[in-house]
Amino acid sequence: MSSAADTGAGVSANPTARGLASRLSDLLWRRPVVFLALLLALPLAWLGIIYIGSLAALLVQSFFSIDEFSGRIDHTFTLKTYAELLRPSNFDIILRTVLMAAAVTLASAIIAFPIAYYAARYARGRMKAFLYLAVMLPLWSSYLVKVYAWKLILAKEGILNWAVDGIGASAMLNAVLAIPVIGGNSLSVSYIGTFLVFLYVWLPFMILPLQASLERVPKNLLEASGDLGASPSQTFRNVILPLAMPGLIAGSIFTFSLTLGDYIIPQIVGSSRRFIGQAVYQHQGTAGNIPLAAAFAVVPIVIMAIYLWMAKRKGAFDAL
Amino acid sequence: MKAAIEFERVSRHFGSVRAVDDVSLSVAEGRFFAMLGPSGSGKTTCLRLISGFERPSAGHVRIFGLNSEATPPNRRPVNTVFQDYALFPHLTVRDNVAYGPKMAGVDRSTREAAVDEMLALVKLDGYGDRKPAALSGGQRQRVALARALVNRPRVLLLDEPLGALDLKLRETMQDELKSLQQSLGITFIFVTHDQGEALSMADRVAVFNEGRIVQEGTPQDIYERPRTRFVADFVGSANVLSPDLSARAGGAHLWSSLRPEAIGIVPEGMGRITGEVRSVRYLGAVNRVMLTLPEGGISAAVPASLPLPEQGAMVGLSWPDAAVHLMDGE
Repeated sequence: MSSAADTGAGVSANPTARGLASRLSDLLWRRPVVFLALLLALPLAWLGIIYIGSLAALLVQSFFSIDEFSGRIDHTFTLKTYAELLRPSNFDIILRTVLMAAAVTLASAIIAFPIAYYAARYARGRMKAFLYLAVMLPLWSSYLVKVYAWKLILAKEGILNWAVDGIGASAMLNAVLAIPVIGGNSLSVSYIGTFLVFLYVWLPFMILPLQASLERVPKNLLEASGDLGASPSQTFRNVILPLAMPGLIAGSIFTFSLTLGDYIIPQIVGSSRRFIGQAVYQHQGTAGNIPLAAAFAVVPIVIMAIYLWMAKRKGAFDAL
Repeated sequence: MKAAIEFERVSRHFGSVRAVDDVSLSVAEGRFFAMLGPSGSGKTTCLRLISGFERPSAGHVRIFGLNSEATPPNRRPVNTVFQDYALFPHLTVRDNVAYGPKMAGVDRSTREAAVDEMLALVKLDGYGDRKPAALSGGQRQRVALARALVNRPRVLLLDEPLGALDLKLRETMQDELKSLQQSLGITFIFVTHDQGEALSMADRVAVFNEGRIVQEGTPQDIYERPRTRFVADFVGSANVLSPDLSARAGGAHLWSSLRPEAIGIVPEGMGRITGEVRSVRYLGAVNRVMLTLPEGGISAAVPASLPLPEQGAMVGLSWPDAAVHLMDGE
């Protein structure tokens, strides 16, 4: 009797005596492939079918064309739709969007860097928590609410105009608004306004990765640089910037691609001239030109691919 | 000899913590100077006061006779080998070593020649195109050394330079650092908590405790004539005899130190005092016998040629009067 009890409690010679869960965990331990399959099945199904699949469908659509008389989609492969992108009216939309995305990315990098640097290097304890909160808080409220709030802020009767008036600087604001192309009747109907709202909405996406990358730069590297005779600005260019580059690239991917694809902000704040997102929205909706909408949608993907390829060639990921 | 580094009543306080407390010190040019002490004793802060990463709360740090307070780290004629090397991970070995000359605006061909020379000096020729991540600990140490030395510093500061290396490598690097210092003839100041390292490499040692220098002298001074109980304990070489024990053994009623190799083991009743053998450790050329006395433990080093006592035996201990070193400090 006692010997039977011993075998039961020993090296589990009797598998039927154990529960299903423990047998399953044994199986996963013996077969790591099964474990990986279980781990990745759901996300792979999601990414593979829903995401990559629809992306492929989009790509295929962009090679179809629309029959101008009947409005029907012609399902033969052609580059005709892409050629249409190069028509001045369409190409202007692309150029406008890319320039806006570049300006927003550059400005957010410039504004985000000092904040991220302070948060990573100097802020401690409560101050750090406060900074995190301050950066994240805007992300908690609805995007639409924020954009409409900005429309009110930037409007001619808005608080910004009122404040500028109050300090007697309205002449300066008017001078800025008088600049052709980027100016306008008021900030809320100008490119400057669109730019400001983009900058506000996407800034957290630049600060957070930048801060993460700066936090991984050990302090003693900065000391070593100074010890070796580098002035603070040389240390910034030769040590801090290269090591922060992965974060800067990650942040710029966010700000750049989010600006490239957005169609709500330019709709609410800005002039009536369209951005890529709005063009896609109109072509697949009211105009019913799915191939052209698809071709427009491919543009940001291609631009991002070129951007990443150039960043890689410049060695932006060397410190990764 | 001219002083390379002078501390004149230097203090560095962090809030209420006195990391460095009223330290005066002079390091002559061309010395291999060790700052020895436990962690938190202020030795690393002293090094950082020289490199300029810390500024004194009081007092003056002079580098070759000039007050250094207003000079930032990048304009001091000193270079540092950092504790964990602080190599730039995004640069190759070659670019790491070339960093200093490049910042100083040295032209490319001169720079490249200097880098080649340094890599040869630390025996890393052929490793120039690697990234630091692809090097072993010992190789990184050498890169850090080359990167500092390429700037021809007048004083080289080393912060626990061998701390991260394994024992065998550490011994090799000790020899190499020593011969490097002798061939270059520049001042080396290094910080360590390893007394063996300090005594074997340096020609002057300052022992730090609680922000102060408790003793400064040659390795022989420190080893044979510790000034305080702390030094005797920390250097770990000597038995510390309490005044009572000292008096019982026929000496003065004062704190004193007694080196283990001076103690002879004789039959019970024949020595100055009697002790019980607690343990015997076989170490090769010299064996260590730990004994229990009423006042505590004492250790004796017995040459391999002499017989070892049994564990638990009662034996007598004898030593010549001259072997006892009286300590003036606590």
